[in-house]
Amino acid sequence: MMKDTFMGYRRADGSVGIRNYLAIIPSVFCANTTVEKIAAQVPGAVAMPHAVGCAQVGLDLELTARTLTAMACHPNVGGVIVISLGCERFDPQEAVEAAKAIGKPLELFVIQKEGGTGATIEKAVEAARRMKAEIDKIERVPCPVSSLFVGTKCGGTDATSGLAANPAVGNMVDRIVAQGGSAILSECNELLGTEHLLAKRAVSKEVADKIYDAIYGIEDVLRSGLDPSLPAKRNHLISRGNFDGGVSSIVEKALGGVHKSGTSPIVDVIEYSVAPEKDKHGLFLMNYESHDGEVVTGMIGCGCQMVVFTTGRGNPTGHPIAPVIKVTGNPATYNHMSDMFDFDASPIITEGKTVEEMGQKLFDMIIRVAEGELTSAEEFGGTELFCVGRRHGYQKKSREQLWAGHDCC
Amino acid sequence: MVRKTLMINPADTVVMLLEDGKKGDTVITPNGEITLLEDIEFAHKVTIVDMKKGESVIKYGEEIGYMLQDLKAGGWIHNHVMGCERGKK
Repeated sequence: MMKDTFMGYRRADGSVGIRNYLAIIPSVFCANTTVEKIAAQVPGAVAMPHAVGCAQVGLDLELTARTLTAMACHPNVGGVIVISLGCERFDPQEAVEAAKAIGKPLELFVIQKEGGTGATIEKAVEAARRMKAEIDKIERVPCPVSSLFVGTKCGGTDATSGLAANPAVGNMVDRIVAQGGSAILSECNELLGTEHLLAKRAVSKEVADKIYDAIYGIEDVLRSGLDPSLPAKRNHLISRGNFDGGVSSIVEKALGGVHKSGTSPIVDVIEYSVAPEKDKHGLFLMNYESHDGEVVTGMIGCGCQMVVFTTGRGNPTGHPIAPVIKVTGNPATYNHMSDMFDFDASPIITEGKTVEEMGQKLFDMIIRVAEGELTSAEEFGGTELFCVGRRHGYQKKSREQLWAGHDCC
Repeated sequence: MVRKTLMINPADTVVMLLEDGKKGDTVITPNGEITLLEDIEFAHKVTIVDMKKGESVIKYGEEIGYMLQDLKAGGWIHNHVMGCERGKK
């Protein structure tokens, strides 16, 4: 029988978390060291250093503002300390107000006001310890499975990903959606050649058109970044590891990758680090490309409490505020580095196990992780997937321009 | 030696090797027994039909690219013989 509740953290605004972190977030990269020194003095606090916040304009600055605010407001975070420099482009007051609106404890310290690094650390550590003591009193309570929101991601794909790991993830996604929960498919550059299949699964013509917009839009971003004056290997659309693993083109990768979305209808296309509309649940496409850290962070910014990450080649990365479950479909990869994985989907290939069996097993693991079971990346303390999405030097095009002249391969 | 393969969709022009294959090994396909023309690694693709330059390579029942050259059945399909323009043009 499927479980319909799990033990999670119910937040003041009704949202549900599966972890209960005190996050120390810099509002600009200049505050990274200060943030790390604060977190080091408060056991259990997570530092969230990043590379952005300075000299950004337009959509690039918007992505930073949305993402940093979304991290501060995330249900896996019980309380937040924001460290600002004072002159950065992103105004940390945006995060302060958003946190206030949902009843999230947040304290802001500005290095240029507090009197430098040492004074900021001293004051912030005291506040962080106080806040941590409060957060630690929060207990898990029964929460509906329908409050789960799971991101899906491929990283280090090989040809087994499309056969075993991604279909198992897709089956798990269908189970989450069937229970009223939600999931995200993204990496639109790695969906080239599947847009007609995804559009058929859209709940309406409007959503189908948004799917074409997203995939052709990211394809245009990709194309705009190519530079024929550079050596050919600078312009490959998939990685060396993908080629070594038997994947020969971006479309072949896409046709395998799309399996991780299962068969559920696509209810909407959502933007990077923007939560779906309140009453919408189910499978979403997030309009973004496939840098592992940026796309995972964007999904968490949309509200995902965890991300399921398939990898045929092997990948050790983690995120500071959300569990990342590593799944492989390659038996040799699993046996070679099993401590880096949480789930082995290769029995689909080696033992003839069904996608349904492995999907159910993975669903059961999702519930255990939601209730606190640590993933491999959490055990190792991996946090490198916190990367804020970027978009600079690109002028957005109209639907007519993006759709013109499309025929596959 | 007969090597295990998987054909994902009946419309496919390739099968995927489920173990490393050596030149001279065979694979069983709907088109009969085919001899590998070269060493081909686990998870890589073998064409099960004679391909002409410009023809579409089909996997998952969909076009994954087009041939940059002719290739006999039993040959290794990878990015050295197959192109794809998506994301480029």
